[in-house]
Amino acid sequence: MKFFLFLAFVFASLSASDETFDIGENIYANACSSCHGADGKANEGADFVVNPRNLSKSLLNEKQRFWIVKMGSRHWGSYADAMPAFGGAYEDEAIKSVVRFITKKFNPDTEARVKDLYSRSEAVSSEKFAQMLKSGEKVYKRTCHLCHGESARGDGLATKNSQKPIYPYNLRKTLLSKEQMFLYAKYGGEFWGSHNGDMPSWSAKYDDYSLKSVVLYIDETFRKKDKRGFSKER
Amino acid sequence: MSDFFKTLLFSLALAASASAANYVVDQKGKTFLPGDLSVSVGDTITFKNSDPFAHNAYTDNESNEFDVGMQATGRETVMTVKSAESFNIECAIHPNMLIKVMVE
Repeated sequence: MKFFLFLAFVFASLSASDETFDIGENIYANACSSCHGADGKANEGADFVVNPRNLSKSLLNEKQRFWIVKMGSRHWGSYADAMPAFGGAYEDEAIKSVVRFITKKFNPDTEARVKDLYSRSEAVSSEKFAQMLKSGEKVYKRTCHLCHGESARGDGLATKNSQKPIYPYNLRKTLLSKEQMFLYAKYGGEFWGSHNGDMPSWSAKYDDYSLKSVVLYIDETFRKKDKRGFSKER
Repeated sequence: MSDFFKTLLFSLALAASASAANYVVDQKGKTFLPGDLSVSVGDTITFKNSDPFAHNAYTDNESNEFDVGMQATGRETVMTVKSAESFNIECAIHPNMLIKVMVE
């Protein structure tokens, strides 16, 4: 009897899982694919202010994806991103199902990939905290501030002096973890699914220590954790 | 001051300015063109931005300290080579932009 109950439980779980996946697939087809494409890779060159991200390359985890979909990416520091907030149109469960679908369908290995790349970077001792802050400040004030601005609000001088618009992130609002920010800076936006190419890879110019230092500086200077575990503007 | 010394000073100034060369470095396609330079102390380098987006040009070399800050499209900025130390010029916005300036 116990065996049959167990089988029934497994079957019910699988059905629920399939149902969630199907709901998510349906929502994706109706609400997401017109920008992100049926294959999740998005279409470069379409009539967008900022091209939609290639979801198969994104470094976000499911929890982060949920909040991006619910609140919209502008809430998390993107200025002109066309990704709107879907929290008004869909219940949380529906958003979770589409996020589940996106993860399973397009990007099932994100977290492992992020973890693997980070584990292969140069390890930095936490004893170097003060030294890293100083080094990070130097890097930020040499390079990052030109686009991201002196207060990291994404309003640096380069945004005002370009014929071609650029849209740097407001780093005070980004929900990326320090590890993700490091990997984004190291490999650049295109590597992580951005079609705009505005954020270059800094690995040719700065070593891992310098990039981890500047991320630490940004985190300590401009961000703090909010109740969801993500950063929030001070 | 006699006419002789005036003429001499003018000639010296003219000779100095005539010997100092100016090199133009164009910031185009996220590249410094034409590339690495060989210059002499006293020469000038004019940076101009032909890209539709902003650039920067700077060196960390202390004796030839230079940073244009924000180089908007169409803007030109001139630096003078002050010291006989070779140095790199980089763009703080685009990490792959770099040229070497050899000072003879």
